Amino acid sequence: MGPSTGGRTRLSGMQKQVLSLYRGFLRATRSKSPEDRREIESFVSAEFRRNSKQVDRKNFIYIEYLLRRGKKQLEQLNSPDTVGLSSMNVTFSETENPKN
Amino acid sequence: MALRAAVLRHVRVAVQTRGLESNPWFPSGSIRLMSSHDDHLTKEEVADRVLSVIKSFPKVDPSRVTPEVHFQKDLGLDSLDNVEIVMALEEEFKLEIPDKEADKIDSCNLAIEYIHNHPLSS
Repeated sequence: MGPSTGGRTRLSGMQKQVLSLYRGFLRATRSKSPEDRREIESFVSAEFRRNSKQVDRKNFIYIEYLLRRGKKQLEQLNSPDTVGLSSMNVTFSETENPKN
Repeated sequence: MALRAAVLRHVRVAVQTRGLESNPWFPSGSIRLMSSHDDHLTKEEVADRVLSVIKSFPKVDPSRVTPEVHFQKDLGLDSLDNVEIVMALEEEFKLEIPDKEADKIDSCNLAIEYIHNHPLSS
């Protein structure tokens, strides 16, 4: 099973957790209205992409923290009371540009 | 054990599929016709629909999409895009693909194979 085996992408356990969380978010948006869905999807996608570029992939402690926080946010999003992002902005906004 | 897990998974999905009948987007007549095993999707039909979902993905150059294409190697996508594509395929074929399987689907061929072999794709 060398790297040439059909060109399969190998994922680490942590990568799988991140992708599973991303999948969870995208699945959660399906139950929202089309506008909310688009808005949440583009926000969530931007958030994951930003972190995938900014966070050092060896920084396991921080990634674990982001995973835990993401799971909580996903629970919030899955609750029927959450229509869109507005009620969640507080928890998300703390992550915007932590350095500046 | 693996068989049992597979059966249980199908049972769970079956319940959800039935739920669709009450959805105004899927009139009950057509959903029953389409989920019946007698007229299960042909491989060509699956392949056509998989390709068109991938071609319509915003980051993909449609002219490069062939049944042999690997999402990340050939189309320049990343693992997050890969998740988005598999999710779009779930919606197109009214399936729920478990994480373990979804992580493996990284090319058109594997997607077509998986969906064609799935008894509930419609």
